[in-house]
Amino acid sequence: MNAKVEQMPNINVNVPDSSSPSSGKVVKPEQICFEVEDLDLYYGTTKALKNIGMHIPECRVTAFIGPSGCGKSTLLRCFNRMNDLVDSCRIEGQIRLKGQDIFARNVDVAKLRQQVGMVFQKPNPFPKSIYENVAYGLRLQGIRDRRVLDETVEQSLVGAALWDEVKDRLHDSAFGLSGGQQQRLVIARAIAIQPEVLLLDEPASALDPISTLKIEELIYNLKEDYTIVIVTHNMQQAARVSDYTAFMYLGELVEFGATGELFTNPKKKNTEDYITGRYG
Amino acid sequence: MRNADTSLSILQSSNDKEDKRNSRRRLLDRLTRYGVALGGVGVITAVGLIFFYLLYVVYPLFSPAAIHEGGSISSPLQDEPQWLAFEEQGKIGFVVYKQGVVEFFDIESGSRTTSVKLPIETDVAVTSFAKGESSSNLFALGLNDGTVLVAELDFDISYPEDKRTVSPSILYPLGNSPVQLDEQGQAIMQLAVQKYDGLLTIVVQRQSGVIGFQSYEIEEDGFIQPDEYEMVEAEVAQLAPRAVSLLLNRAQDTLYIIEPNGRTYFYDLFDKEEPELIETLSIASPNSTITATRFLVGGISILVGDSRGEVAQWFPVRDEHNRLKLTKIRTFKGPGGAIEKLETEYGRKGFLALGEDGKFALYHSTAERKIFEKQLTSSKIKSITLSPHNDLLALYTEGGEIKSWHIDNPHPEVSFKALWGKIWYESRSQPEFIWQSSSASDDFEPKFSITPLAFGTLKATFYTLLTAIPLAIFGAIYTGYFMSPVLRGKVKPAIELMEALPTVILGFLAGLWLAPILEKNLIGSFAILLMLPLVVISACYFWFKLPESMRTKLPDGWESLLMIPLILIAGWLCIALGPYLELAWFNGNLPQHMEVNWGISYDQRNAMVIGIAMGFAVIPTIFSIAEDAVSSVPKMLTEGSLALGATRWQTLVGVIILTAAPGIFSAVMIGLGRAVGETMIVLMATGNTPIMDFNLFEGLRALSANIAVEVPESELNSTHYRILFFTGLVLFAFTFFFNTVGELVRQNLRKKYGSL
Repeated sequence: MNAKVEQMPNINVNVPDSSSPSSGKVVKPEQICFEVEDLDLYYGTTKALKNIGMHIPECRVTAFIGPSGCGKSTLLRCFNRMNDLVDSCRIEGQIRLKGQDIFARNVDVAKLRQQVGMVFQKPNPFPKSIYENVAYGLRLQGIRDRRVLDETVEQSLVGAALWDEVKDRLHDSAFGLSGGQQQRLVIARAIAIQPEVLLLDEPASALDPISTLKIEELIYNLKEDYTIVIVTHNMQQAARVSDYTAFMYLGELVEFGATGELFTNPKKKNTEDYITGRYG
Repeated sequence: MRNADTSLSILQSSNDKEDKRNSRRRLLDRLTRYGVALGGVGVITAVGLIFFYLLYVVYPLFSPAAIHEGGSISSPLQDEPQWLAFEEQGKIGFVVYKQGVVEFFDIESGSRTTSVKLPIETDVAVTSFAKGESSSNLFALGLNDGTVLVAELDFDISYPEDKRTVSPSILYPLGNSPVQLDEQGQAIMQLAVQKYDGLLTIVVQRQSGVIGFQSYEIEEDGFIQPDEYEMVEAEVAQLAPRAVSLLLNRAQDTLYIIEPNGRTYFYDLFDKEEPELIETLSIASPNSTITATRFLVGGISILVGDSRGEVAQWFPVRDEHNRLKLTKIRTFKGPGGAIEKLETEYGRKGFLALGEDGKFALYHSTAERKIFEKQLTSSKIKSITLSPHNDLLALYTEGGEIKSWHIDNPHPEVSFKALWGKIWYESRSQPEFIWQSSSASDDFEPKFSITPLAFGTLKATFYTLLTAIPLAIFGAIYTGYFMSPVLRGKVKPAIELMEALPTVILGFLAGLWLAPILEKNLIGSFAILLMLPLVVISACYFWFKLPESMRTKLPDGWESLLMIPLILIAGWLCIALGPYLELAWFNGNLPQHMEVNWGISYDQRNAMVIGIAMGFAVIPTIFSIAEDAVSSVPKMLTEGSLALGATRWQTLVGVIILTAAPGIFSAVMIGLGRAVGETMIVLMATGNTPIMDFNLFEGLRALSANIAVEVPESELNSTHYRILFFTGLVLFAFTFFFNTVGELVRQNLRKKYGSL
């Protein structure tokens, strides 16, 4: 059951799904951001990802859905090589970011991660002030200029729709924020270093419905400037926020296509079973 | 399909079973809760009890002295009493009257027992009186025919019919008849007498003002050898009769002649053939006259009371030319009015002063403290005395009445300054911090300054932490953050196992094995200290210069194993080359070279040995807690930082250390608490010298070791005993403080990151 999708989905057709908030927006011409080719991933001797291949378009939201343990988070963590931290993890195949193989020997992982930001399932602010959390990535790059920092922190917080809520307490501890605010702070932190891609690993799963809604609105706004790849458990969320959806099952990519297409007219039985709630 | 009846009965039976199981579960739950609560409360109670027991033992040190009235008796003789005193058992009191009568009375009943007439001819009169050191019961009467009668009161204790009976008698060390001190028969106007260690000396001032003395060697068999010496007359000849006080110390080698205007002659009588005038000076404050003088117990300090109502303590101090100079050490404010009388306590450095207006005050000289003052009677006091146990005070008032008071003053030696401050102890050339709690002699001045002990504890702690903190914390960071989990799983328990090593073994090894090795290889040890960081850093540098193919052969996090042989080789090289370096630069012996050329003395058991040995004991504590703090930094934070493009090093500095800092701090605090309270190592490897010197190569005495050394030999409930408990309390406070701070920080940390 090799579901490698070689053909790009039709890029000129706007996503027909009425629940998708993208209608009415000016859409940039699509280009390919990530090309995944023949990717296999092993944990020790267990093969966790099997022969994955897909093209992730630039400035679009791509959602990975699938039941627990299907490998969607593992795949996401390949894009910024977070799997390097796992000792027993071994990767075969290629992922190219704008044509450049990210597993090549001469790739500086730190640089790669500056280009490919990531937001995790649970909010993980550092034990610092709100300001310092956002400025952290800039300071790592050696930026010390107070004006640049102030400006970027403000822009990022505005970009993450958090500015109005925290502008009066930028120097308070980030732990004083609510869970939803913390998650938006983490997104602000990620966009402060102006990456090209944002990887979101179930960013709303630990949040209440209202915070989830805010995050989803934020994702919608962010895709103007960033390529977004989101892993989600929640099919409605995938349907709401994404332009493209990949359905994964047992380490394999079953189906990949425009979200509206995949949800209304799945090509594979597995996909249909999943989105209609036969298993999950 | 199940029958409804059976299903109901099944439900019923399962309910019964469930009830039983539930009640058992509830019981177990309750038992566990009570058991845990009991354990917790038990621990807190135990700590509380220890604390309160310490307080209970220490409290009397700081409780105020008390005085309450005893009985009174009246004396038939309306004569001048010269001396009122008690024998040692506190059963019998006696009064020596000017007309040559000694009267004994029973203290409890207040009844007179005997009255003895001293062998003085009826036609001679007593013109002067002197008593010896207060514990000797020796006194002398100077007569108007130039003779002196020396007598000694003796109290025999016998047990007829199992009842303790004290029977007084009078001995005459120089024979029954008065001895001639002046050939011309001039009256003896002033007198001083002492008998000690087979020597008896009488100093007299004759009517003419001339002062002379006689010394007698008294053999065991009572054979007496008189030696008469005349003092240099010129100095004192002009003095009017009855004008001077003569102060002779018990060893009979120092004589002070003090004129009322404060002019003082300080004689050295060590060589009786040639008395030497050491110094002439004035000891009176401006516009005052000397009204009372007395030797403090021990015969080193003199107390001088003046007309302005001040009491000053003086003793000879060696100046920079090694000459003795009588020096004013401290002054005490008197009870009011000119000082009339000064009396000393027995066996300790306390004294009492009686003021002109009948008020008396009790003092302790070393503690620089007035214990209390009180107006005891409105009538004029002729004589005042303390009992040999310092618990009874008696007055002889003008009406011939003897009144007594009970004094409860067990710990006059203690004051804040005596415990923590610089005190000018007798025979010292300046105020100092000294701990010297006991000596062979009874009239020795105990020196209870806790400061050198606390200093010793802090010094040991400082050098311990100097060794332990870098090793333990860097080790913890490496183990918690860089090391491979497999290796970490072996290293951490191994280091924690070090903690199980009994400290007595560590102390033993440090004192008897490590200390001599260090002394022999001092330069090698320093070379190791210098070389190891260099070797480690350069090894790391070359490791990263190696081609990657070689580096990747070793899995990530195992590189540290390669360091072990390197460190061993470097250490061995340093030790092996040490002697050659020593020969080349330090004349072959570094400790000696330091002593001679730089004035740094070297003790074999020194703070360096402690730093290493106790560092070894403290490292597991600090390492274990710090490693926990580092490795329990949430993985999400590490990943969050790495995902922002941070390198491992940036993540370590920016996130890991920051997040683990409170945990690392609490590790240091708890390690510090451990080092402060550690006993066996400091006891066995420091030399236990209570000195205030931060020198790495000198020993020290820590509070804990001091307790271990001195508690077994201190007298139960004595001041010394209670002060040792007080040091225990100080130690308790130290460790309690450090551990509490550490624990609070740790709990705060847990609360802070509990949500992550």
